[in-house]
Amino acid sequence: MNQPQNNRLALVIGSGAVKCAAALGVWKVLNRVGIEVDLLVGCSGGSLFATTMALGYSVDECIELTQRLWNRSITRKRDTRSFLKALLPQVFKFDERFGMFDDHAMLKNLRAVFGESTFTETVVPLYLVATDFHTGEPVVLDRGTLVDALRASISVPFIWRPWRVGERLLIDGAVSNPLPVDVAIREGVELILAVGFETPAPRRIKSISRFVFHLNSVMTNNLYRANFAFHNLAHHAEIITVMPDFTQQVTLFDTYLIPYVIQQGEHAMEQQLPYLQRLLGEIHSS
Amino acid sequence: MEIKTSYHDQVAVVTIEGSIDALTSAEVSAHLAGQISQGYHQLILDLNQVEYMSSAGLRAIMDGLKASRQSGGDLRLAAPQPGVDKVLRMAGFPSIMKSFPSLAEAAASFKD
Repeated sequence: MNQPQNNRLALVIGSGAVKCAAALGVWKVLNRVGIEVDLLVGCSGGSLFATTMALGYSVDECIELTQRLWNRSITRKRDTRSFLKALLPQVFKFDERFGMFDDHAMLKNLRAVFGESTFTETVVPLYLVATDFHTGEPVVLDRGTLVDALRASISVPFIWRPWRVGERLLIDGAVSNPLPVDVAIREGVELILAVGFETPAPRRIKSISRFVFHLNSVMTNNLYRANFAFHNLAHHAEIITVMPDFTQQVTLFDTYLIPYVIQQGEHAMEQQLPYLQRLLGEIHSS
Repeated sequence: MEIKTSYHDQVAVVTIEGSIDALTSAEVSAHLAGQISQGYHQLILDLNQVEYMSSAGLRAIMDGLKASRQSGGDLRLAAPQPGVDKVLRMAGFPSIMKSFPSLAEAAASFKD
């Protein structure tokens, strides 16, 4: 399904790796009170959750699938060829397809969960955001296989190599559009629940990779805030920002913290619920 | 939502109680515009009792800021609560307008 029937409410899940599981807490609250979402948008880690929700899985199924998709297995094996290319670029012909980790385990996980499913099989219209490696432009994916779109959307710079979809070489959506509320606005939605996160920086900078990730976090966070400001001020759409508070630090693969992350998402959504219900009531009665 | 206004010298202190959101922002915008048209170009928006602010609320503040500056004055924020302050910071407001932890400090800033 990629034609929205009724553009009333969108749920946009931004980048944030494990923190994106907070969207399941949001989903839980919406399900409990019977509020249906008409459109889902995901970016990077948020894409995984948006996709499982769009396919109609229950909250418990989404949690189970997340743990199958996003766990330590996906960074267990280094991409030896990439390291050799980095060390001896002329000999091993360094190119843009660089990533520190071998992506076979991630692809295996994605294929085990989503198989050959396409965007046409979602029960809620779904849009996933990636970034064109060459131009830096955000790319909205809404057709083709879910595995291809997800693999592209979560191609975290330096960690996994870019992924080709059609003619374009794509990387993580967070590089261009960490909280893509504009995608929902473009689709005509006037009420948007935006679940966004700042990218955590490494706890300690004790290697070149952590140094690079730290700088990547700084840049992504500044982009996130700049986009947030622009979309909140420049458009007429009402954006309800759901920003869970994390007293515990949650980093890229802290999947054991998923129950806590969901709980914080649930709590943040509970706080926004009365306002959302009032707004939906206004829209319904107008 | 409730709006109260008090005047200290040439400064209008607009105190909001409740939420500034899509259901209330038009009233806030109109109230700020009304103060400016009455000749109060220096305004303080007291956010101490504002529990929630959505994108519509941010736009209402921006409208008030633009109008006050176009008339030669300024709109300053006072005492935003942590949740509202977080939204204001995310939207970059501290880089374009002055915000103070208390009403007294905001009022004093107009005397500097």
